[in-house]
Amino acid sequence: MKEKLENLVTLVKKELDAVSKEAEILNLKAKYIGKKSEFSNLLSSLKEMSTDEKKVYGPLLNSKKKELEALFTTKIESLNNNIETDFDETLPVNINTGSLHPVTLIAKEITEVLKRMGFTVLQGLEMEDDYHNFEALNIPKDHPARDMQDTFYLDNGKLLRTQTSGDQVHAMEKYNVPLRICSPGRVFRNEDLDASHENTFFQLEGMVVDKDIKIENMFYVMKELLNEVFHQDVKMRVRPGFFPFTEPSFEMDMCCLICNGKGCPTCKNSGWIELIPGGMVHPNVLKKSGIDPDKYTGFAFGIGLTRLAMMKYKINDIRYLNSGDLRALKKFEIE
Amino acid sequence: MLISCNRLKSYIKNSEDINFVKVWDTFTVKTAEVEKVTEKGKDLKDVITAKIVSVKKHPESKKLSLLKVSDGTNTYDIVCGAPNVKEGLIGVLVKENGMVSGIKITKRKLAGYISEGMMCAFDELGIGTDHEGIIELPDDTPIGVDIKTLYPIEDVIVEIDNKSLTNRPDLWGHYGIAREIAAITGHELLPLELLEVENNQTNLDIKILNEDLCPRYCGIKVKNLTNNKTPISMQIFLNYVGMRSISLFVDLTNYLMLELGQPMHAFDERVVKNITVKLAKENDTYTTLDKQERKLYNDTLMITNGSKYFGIAGVMGGLDSEILPDTNSIFIESANFNAGCVRKTAVKLGLRTEASSRYEKSLDPNLCDLAIKRLLYLLKKENPDMQIASNLTDIYPHILKPINITLTKQTIKRYTNIPFTDEMVKNILESLDFKVQVNKEDYLVTVPTVRATKDVTIPADLIEELVRIYGYDKIKEEPLKLASKAKVHETIWDEEYLAKKYLATAFKMNEIHSYLWFEDEALNKLGIIKENVKLIGAGKNKTLRDDLPLSLLPIVKENLKNYEKIAIFEIGTVIKNDQNNRHLAVMLAKSEKMEDLLLQAKEITASLFKSLKHQKVTFKTGKMADYYHDKSQQIWCNEVLIGYILMFNSQANNYIGKKKSLVAIDIDFDKFREIPKITPEFKAISKYPTVTLDYTITTPKEIKYADLEKILDEFKSNLILKRTYKDVFLNKDSKNYTIAYEIGSYEKTLAKKELENFQVRFINHIKNNGLEIIS
Repeated sequence: MKEKLENLVTLVKKELDAVSKEAEILNLKAKYIGKKSEFSNLLSSLKEMSTDEKKVYGPLLNSKKKELEALFTTKIESLNNNIETDFDETLPVNINTGSLHPVTLIAKEITEVLKRMGFTVLQGLEMEDDYHNFEALNIPKDHPARDMQDTFYLDNGKLLRTQTSGDQVHAMEKYNVPLRICSPGRVFRNEDLDASHENTFFQLEGMVVDKDIKIENMFYVMKELLNEVFHQDVKMRVRPGFFPFTEPSFEMDMCCLICNGKGCPTCKNSGWIELIPGGMVHPNVLKKSGIDPDKYTGFAFGIGLTRLAMMKYKINDIRYLNSGDLRALKKFEIE
Repeated sequence: MLISCNRLKSYIKNSEDINFVKVWDTFTVKTAEVEKVTEKGKDLKDVITAKIVSVKKHPESKKLSLLKVSDGTNTYDIVCGAPNVKEGLIGVLVKENGMVSGIKITKRKLAGYISEGMMCAFDELGIGTDHEGIIELPDDTPIGVDIKTLYPIEDVIVEIDNKSLTNRPDLWGHYGIAREIAAITGHELLPLELLEVENNQTNLDIKILNEDLCPRYCGIKVKNLTNNKTPISMQIFLNYVGMRSISLFVDLTNYLMLELGQPMHAFDERVVKNITVKLAKENDTYTTLDKQERKLYNDTLMITNGSKYFGIAGVMGGLDSEILPDTNSIFIESANFNAGCVRKTAVKLGLRTEASSRYEKSLDPNLCDLAIKRLLYLLKKENPDMQIASNLTDIYPHILKPINITLTKQTIKRYTNIPFTDEMVKNILESLDFKVQVNKEDYLVTVPTVRATKDVTIPADLIEELVRIYGYDKIKEEPLKLASKAKVHETIWDEEYLAKKYLATAFKMNEIHSYLWFEDEALNKLGIIKENVKLIGAGKNKTLRDDLPLSLLPIVKENLKNYEKIAIFEIGTVIKNDQNNRHLAVMLAKSEKMEDLLLQAKEITASLFKSLKHQKVTFKTGKMADYYHDKSQQIWCNEVLIGYILMFNSQANNYIGKKKSLVAIDIDFDKFREIPKITPEFKAISKYPTVTLDYTITTPKEIKYADLEKILDEFKSNLILKRTYKDVFLNKDSKNYTIAYEIGSYEKTLAKKELENFQVRFINHIKNNGLEIIS
């Protein structure tokens, strides 16, 4: 009997291999383990067996029946007409996504890094008053930056801000200390347009004010920011700079990522890219916004977002950015 | 600014220890940015002094001469085209196989005669621009000597970024740069050699009427000047740093400007009467040295001589005081002018000069007399018989004294972790000419006046001096401690970004940026006159935008030249009622039916509010300005008017193209931000099966969905889980609205009877309202 059953299993396997349609499988199933099958007869013959025989053949028959049922089930599960396909995997697809402006993308990237370091992202005002754009930033009345040649003055006595640095003042007025903010935004300069000059472009302002904020902290934040934005350990160089609202002031350069500091057209053969101006907040600036410079220190920095976007996306003409020309702008996919 | 290292070396003790090619990397990170370092004279080889022993005319050439030139040992045949060749002239010879300007000079035939080298002009040696004739060296020059051992031809010329010197008036001369180099390399700065004036003669008649604009004016007369020829070494220096050599008197004033940063002027003494410094009369004119007639303003500071204008203070002198070939007595001016006044004048006249760009930086008035004494010293070297013809007349009403700053040790600690000792502080500051008195808790620092005009005035300025000389590269970065306040939180950038990203992903739109002002040309074409804030003095595009969709029309128009349809958006500032206001504008332009486009705009709007705020919006007919179509829709949320779905009038729509439909969405983003974000509540799903029933209701044509909705709302049943509008079909005289009900119960499976009841009741309700219904 045992041998007979084994043969049956082998036979079923062989016959199943030969079929590929669900109906055929079901037919085979009926034939071999259905109600009228020989197997079924064997099962019913169990009733007439002695107790000892039952003990031997009962479990055997049952296990074989399960084995056979499993064979049919597995075979049926292996079939699915839906996945039978003549798909040409080489067919192309037309990608039609929307796009975000490159400056939006870069601003997002930088603010995300700063947020992770505890910075709050603010937004300033494009139409600004003289106080916030100049006076509160320790920029004297006869400073060249205030010239008509450089600043868009308005007929309502205000101006279009020439820098995001005024947001330092707004932040101090609104939140006082401790303060850790950044503010991306649009600024305006009265410039003639060419491939590298725009009258409307983006900067990002950053400011930290608290007790015992030191030069060392500023260098750390700047280095960390660059490392994260450029996804590598960026080499940084600090030079003395001059800005009326910081003292000491720094120019922070980044080792040119294209030539690795050897000198190339991108870095004008210097090996360095001038990237972040900044410095320790000038005591007069703190004082003007009601913060005691004898108790608090801080640092502030600016980043040219438009310039960074141009570097990152290798945009060779700044005029594309405000042109609204979709032939240029559609290329920037959403990140 | 160009700097000659040969000059620097002469001011620094033991300067031979300094590598003047490499030191500039350090200078860049400690002082100011160096843009370029060029080694001069390296390309000169076998260039010697030699004497012309005989000159013969070339038989066939008018220009060429046949020379015999001697270096004391050998005689060479040279063919030369210079007009100034003569016997006995000591000049500069490039021998056979020697090099000038990187070019090898070979023995070759010139016009039939062998030339065994070349006699050089200034430009050929790279030390001047003169190509009029060959160089004539003084008669006592030894011959056969390498020219480089006699003259400073080998030099390192350094270009420093002017921008990085804006706040360092002391660095606008070589002596100031030398002070920095000495400080950063630990060397000693040598004092300048001066000629002291005894001042036992009479004072000159000099008056300053505007002391605030001219803090100091020094003048002196010198006569019996017989030599107005600039020594070759000075000519080489001037040429290397980008200045043209003119004559000794003029060159010396330039030299002093390059050495000390103090602009000077030499006038022909014969025309100088009494000098008065005062403001010009508005609309007067004056012809400057460059022969340009210039209009003057009542804030232009002038030097006057007698009753005539003599020069524009700090900018440029005039024609009539020029040094002439027969000048043998001069009046030397060394004055200090107010930085702002000079800058304004230079800008107004469009005339920025070497002098004005230095005065703009706020020069130290204490340089004035120093510069004169230094100039006299150099002048006397070339004119040993020179006579001082007046007192060094010095009008200096308010003497600038060195300032004192108390720098507490605690302050240093608040700015940096660098462990500065008393010795370090003293060494660094004293190397920069500051004086330091060390106290227990602080340092009393005296700032030299060359640094005190605007650069160093407060303790933080001294900290900069200390840290930059110590070295920014040695600073050990340190993370910030966690101390920020969570309550300092503004959502604006996040919300703007989310809205942008939503529009770009869900509706495949493209973000653009555009200018804050209207394009005048577009407004003119549309016949729209905008009364809003204007830019002063700018060219075209003067009016700031108060309507974002309107300002985007030209961009839509341009893009339609390249694309069949566009869907763009911008989140930006508009200026409304004198206030900044953030707006979101979406522009849809396609060749589709206007109804479809309006419906898309409605879907975009409602989806945006749902997605970002979980809020519902409602729409009411209304427009934002009269150039929009009457069918425009107001967008309301939480009972606040928050924006518009806009159709333009025919003129504006035609502007972008007659065949295109144009619809805009304008949302006041400041108001949008104020809308609270609703937190949706969880609603359990019915455990029992639900049934969806579709109905098509036929209405007369004039019935709007809102009318139908009223009828639908009147039908109440607790079995309704949801009602959905599916679509509308326009027949010739009627409309077919299709709606769907999802019905069911949270308690049980609906009985067949309940379902039938619902259907009968609903159909009757619709019929009772006089409408037809198909289920």
